[in-house]
Amino acid sequence: MSECIVITSGKGGVGKTTTSANLGVALALQGATVAVVDADIGLRNLDVILGLENRIVYDLVHVIEGECRLKQALIRDKRADGLYLLPAAQTRDKNAVTPQQMRELTDKLKEEFDYVLVDCPAGIEQGFKNAVAGADRAVIVTTPEVSAIRDADRIIGMVEAAELPEPQLIINRYRNKMVSRGDMMNKEDILEILAIPLLGIIPDHEDIIISANRGVPAVFDEASVVGEAFRRCARRVAGEPDVPELDFSEGNGLWGTMKRWMGFGAAAQGVA
Amino acid sequence: MNTLINKLFNRDNRTSKDDAKQRLKVLLIHDQVDLTPAQLDAMQDEITAVIQKYVEIDRDNSIVRLERGDDRIALISSVPVRRVIERALPA
Repeated sequence: MSECIVITSGKGGVGKTTTSANLGVALALQGATVAVVDADIGLRNLDVILGLENRIVYDLVHVIEGECRLKQALIRDKRADGLYLLPAAQTRDKNAVTPQQMRELTDKLKEEFDYVLVDCPAGIEQGFKNAVAGADRAVIVTTPEVSAIRDADRIIGMVEAAELPEPQLIINRYRNKMVSRGDMMNKEDILEILAIPLLGIIPDHEDIIISANRGVPAVFDEASVVGEAFRRCARRVAGEPDVPELDFSEGNGLWGTMKRWMGFGAAAQGVA
Repeated sequence: MNTLINKLFNRDNRTSKDDAKQRLKVLLIHDQVDLTPAQLDAMQDEITAVIQKYVEIDRDNSIVRLERGDDRIALISSVPVRRVIERALPA
């Protein structure tokens, strides 16, 4: 059965696009067929994070306005079987699309793909309404910061108002060292405040910047601790029960570095 | 160990994440009830003033605030009463 999942956050810059890309790649590498849809019309970036920016001919608005067929606009990711990107238009604005049109589009994609992941723009206006229109459920991305959690709370309310089921939470840019010295809200603090189930925690790691530089999502790197964190999120999205939490507490320390030098992948530290 | 160090060097023993969490809780209540911090303060003062008409209270140790529960916001108050003011209730 196909599902449309919207990746949203309210606040910008917390990692929606990175999450959309990595979940999409991970689900495809696990054998599913996946369409990732960039709903951020006018500020497209999912193509860049996926490294597919040079292959765009048509975009989402072209499809909606009937200038091309849906299949012509879908870009196949040659690195991951079954993964396709539907890019956003860069020269249009969010009012070029209505929620009704988005719903029709994602419904059509659901006929072809196991998962349709919609990368939602920041904010709570038209772009958000478009992105959630066809969604069956939502994943909320936040970081352990007051501003991001506040906006996540607002978005959770809006997701409920849109009559979607209870969303799941990804906590991005988690820094174990800061958490352990009391300078960052921990998992329990955040879950207590937002009161929704956790999908996963993504460590703050330079791999993310390197992977964005190269246009190769961290999930492609077997040894990346961030990639492993996203792979586990994807397994949970796919309904695998009891996926253990990733222990990345050693990932940035001396021991973690030594382990990497000695040839153990960071992912090998993933013991619950 | 971290907690111990905090206790030794941090007089009020509050970490920055405690501040973050407290600020966040207040923010989310403001967002939800759509009252400004000034309006909330005024409400608290007025509630306290009404109580003071009937009993003498320990104002320094009084708490009157909104708190978020699982699915609702509640007015939480803890107001220590020193003594009942001995006078006839207003008609």
